[in-house]
Amino acid sequence: MEHPILFISLILDKLGLPVPHTPTGATMLEKLCEPYMTYTWLVMAFLIIVPKLTMSRMELVPGSGQNFWEVTIGGLMDFFAENLGKERAKMLFPMMATFFLYIIIANMIGLIPGFMSPTSNLNITLGMTIMVWVTHHVLGFRYHGLNYYKHFTGPMPIMAPFMFLLEVIANCARLISLSMRLFGNILAKEILLSVLFMLAGAYFAPLPILCLGVLVCIIQAVVFVLLAVLYCASAMEEAH
Amino acid sequence: MSKESKTMFRELASYSQVGMTFVFSIFIGLGIGWYLDHKVFNGRTVPYLTFIFLGLGIAAGFKHLWDVSKKISDD
Repeated sequence: MEHPILFISLILDKLGLPVPHTPTGATMLEKLCEPYMTYTWLVMAFLIIVPKLTMSRMELVPGSGQNFWEVTIGGLMDFFAENLGKERAKMLFPMMATFFLYIIIANMIGLIPGFMSPTSNLNITLGMTIMVWVTHHVLGFRYHGLNYYKHFTGPMPIMAPFMFLLEVIANCARLISLSMRLFGNILAKEILLSVLFMLAGAYFAPLPILCLGVLVCIIQAVVFVLLAVLYCASAMEEAH
Repeated sequence: MSKESKTMFRELASYSQVGMTFVFSIFIGLGIGWYLDHKVFNGRTVPYLTFIFLGLGIAAGFKHLWDVSKKISDD
């Protein structure tokens, strides 16, 4: 889909860098200049710079900036501890909290004209999903050793090979369904917004969709992280 | 957030996954069968493995559905 105006792409174009006009670029430099890459870097820079600015001086009585981060991080920690238990939540916290903050900002950024959501590209969401998928299997092997296969065989020994095949297929479906849902929701929001903006932007037609977009952004970020946490939790608990 | 809405949210997330997992397991089964038929065995087994793995994919979808419904009735 052709986005109306993407200011980073315009700036890069002016600088003489090759910004691809097709979904994927041909050369390495073109691939690095794709909008979803540049906007990912924008989100990353935002996530690095803003906490640095607001938390450079930690105080015992927090100011407004530090307070915001304390509430966010504390809330996330409670949320993970509820699903995983204290110890495991501490272990997984850096990864999952990064996913949450990255996804929510990447989703939200698409609501501003001139920006796009990096999560409206399947490459980004599939990349994150592969990370989650590999992590939950690694955790399973770490907690159960080679007995991890018992998670896949079910209770009856006779049915075990058959059940194993079924579980492997259903497990691979996680990979697609997790990435497709985030991608689909955010892409739908982006397309709807740009179409409404082009049709009747002067009459504030995108306004209701913008309000819904805020809701979708938050829900999708929470659901992605929640499912990632649930997958990790189910890989770490004992086979039933 | 209250305790109620937290559990509701968690269940909402896992049940919203059911439909998509069902569909994608069927397609993954079909894809594995097609790949084995056409790429690994070079078309010597053509219709059979595709159908067998399609059946496995459908069974995987139903097993996931079964697991989820068992989880609901357990809670």
